[in-house]
Amino acid sequence: MSNETILGLPARRTAIVAFALLVVAPFVLPTFQTYVLSEVLVLALFATAFNLLYGYTGLLSFGHAMFYGGAGYALGIFLRDVAPSLPFGGATPLVAFVVAAVLGVLVATAIAIPVGYLSVRLEEIYFAMLTLSFSMALYTLVNQNYFGVTNGSDGILVLLNTANLFGFTLSLYDRVTYYFVILLVVAPAMYILWRVANSPFGLVSEAIRENSERASGLGIDVRRHQWAAFVLSAVFTGIAGVLVAPLHSSLSPGASLHWSISAEPVIMTVFGGPYSFIGPTVGALFYRYIRWGITQFPMLEAHWQLVFGALILVIVVFAPRGVSGLLKWAVKRVRGDGGEST
Amino acid sequence: MALPIQEILTGLSLGSRYFLVAIGLSLIFGVLGVLNFAHGALYMIGAYVSLTVVQNATGNFWVGLIAAGLAVGAVGAIIEMGLIRRVYDRDELDQLILTFALVLIISDLTRTVWGSGNQTMATPELLASNVQFLGTSYPAYRLFVIVVGFAAMGVFWYAIQRTYLGRLVRATSSDRDMAALLGVNVPRLYTGVFFAGSFLAGIGGALAAPMQAFTPALGDQVIINAFIIVVIGGLGSFTGAFVGAMFIGLLQSFGVLVASGVGQLLPFLAMILVLIFRPEGLFGGEEQ
Repeated sequence: MSNETILGLPARRTAIVAFALLVVAPFVLPTFQTYVLSEVLVLALFATAFNLLYGYTGLLSFGHAMFYGGAGYALGIFLRDVAPSLPFGGATPLVAFVVAAVLGVLVATAIAIPVGYLSVRLEEIYFAMLTLSFSMALYTLVNQNYFGVTNGSDGILVLLNTANLFGFTLSLYDRVTYYFVILLVVAPAMYILWRVANSPFGLVSEAIRENSERASGLGIDVRRHQWAAFVLSAVFTGIAGVLVAPLHSSLSPGASLHWSISAEPVIMTVFGGPYSFIGPTVGALFYRYIRWGITQFPMLEAHWQLVFGALILVIVVFAPRGVSGLLKWAVKRVRGDGGEST
Repeated sequence: MALPIQEILTGLSLGSRYFLVAIGLSLIFGVLGVLNFAHGALYMIGAYVSLTVVQNATGNFWVGLIAAGLAVGAVGAIIEMGLIRRVYDRDELDQLILTFALVLIISDLTRTVWGSGNQTMATPELLASNVQFLGTSYPAYRLFVIVVGFAAMGVFWYAIQRTYLGRLVRATSSDRDMAALLGVNVPRLYTGVFFAGSFLAGIGGALAAPMQAFTPALGDQVIINAFIIVVIGGLGSFTGAFVGAMFIGLLQSFGVLVASGVGQLLPFLAMILVLIFRPEGLFGGEEQ
């Protein structure tokens, strides 16, 4: 399928170039920038997973923090309470991380199956409100420490250790090492999401978004399909969640499960442009680097919410297709002009 | 028997404050179709404006209350004319994000003007005492807030159901184009509705100011409760906003008796149950 494009550029070639750049990046960039890039990768996965539900299927979830933070908490609690007693010798830190990550994604999935089943029966703003209330119920449970393992509003630490594999050491907490861990998970995850979005499944999703009644008339089981999209979106959100917890070394209800965390993929998607695959990734890039840019100026840093809010306003009002819409337009413009001049 | 009466009064006074926020949110959604995320932030401005007017200018609580209502109403009208008007025809998401951006901007400006620390405000002297009420002693100010909440519902109901302006509002909310054809100045009516909703939020914030210490995070706490209330009552339903507000107020005040923290969980559970079994809300679809 050679006509697939990203921002008007050939998809395959662009993806390969981007991946190559991402592999080289930590050898060129200072450690802090590698850390920021790690965050961008995780946020891109978070937003793309969210957009599978919003941009493709037309369901605005306002509770995705429940999968992001829920998976993170499952990982964090396992690492804290179970990992120290695992019998794998030097390999324990790595095994523990992998098992905890799988467990985290399973927990996100387990939450998504019933919540999705109940939520997709509602439409538009009611769907958004129901996902919001489920996620805030989980937030309250964790914040009040009802399960006795979440340490309430103080949250928990998520620390990775050094693994010894046959004399080869792997410091998982090292910024550069962990960047590659993230890249090794995010790159295939994004590829799978790309395949899903461009599969019959993705087409059916778009049909439902555009006109669910007509889709239903074509013999599509709309509710079931939406449910599947919901769970799939939660699974990939869970993957982003288990990656971000060790990156930040901590989890707390406010920074992991609060509704303002659910707002992040929404903002990134609107920034980037919801009706394209790459939009949320572009949005994540902008979102993170604008915040970083703001911190470079003490004057702006003191008022980052104001600057950030004003930026969102401008983009929503003047660029309904987001930054990726603008970029796509720019690429077309540049190529079109080039074509004419020769 | 003293205990339940205390809880009921606390619940009703909480509910009355919630009602003043929820009614504006519901009104704006019912007429304009916009779910205004910034409504809690407007409520917060009300608390701060009243604080400044009372402490730094007049020393009079009642002037502060009216000033808060008018100032927040004006802010709402400016927001509607300058920004919200541009996105009526767009996705719900665009509207939600736009008002979310306003939350960030308003919180930041509030922090800049009033600082991020805890603010407290004295109860007006007239209402600073306790009164004997049904065999229990209760702060007069809280009883006053309950009276305001019920009075606001009465005035609101009368205005919407019995006045010419109320008919215009109802007509425009059920069919905007037809109302415009019949000569209703729809843009001006929309601005007026946004002003009214914001005015009530400002009054609500000013009333809450003497009851608790507050920070610029006040809006975030309030908006979620307001969402719960209008969803439970039915988006756009005024009776629903009233019943929902009182219900959530009572739920929170009685929740404390069951176990600590349950008061915060119960409203979300109530919202989940209502959405699952009656998504249009308890009073949804009954009024236009």
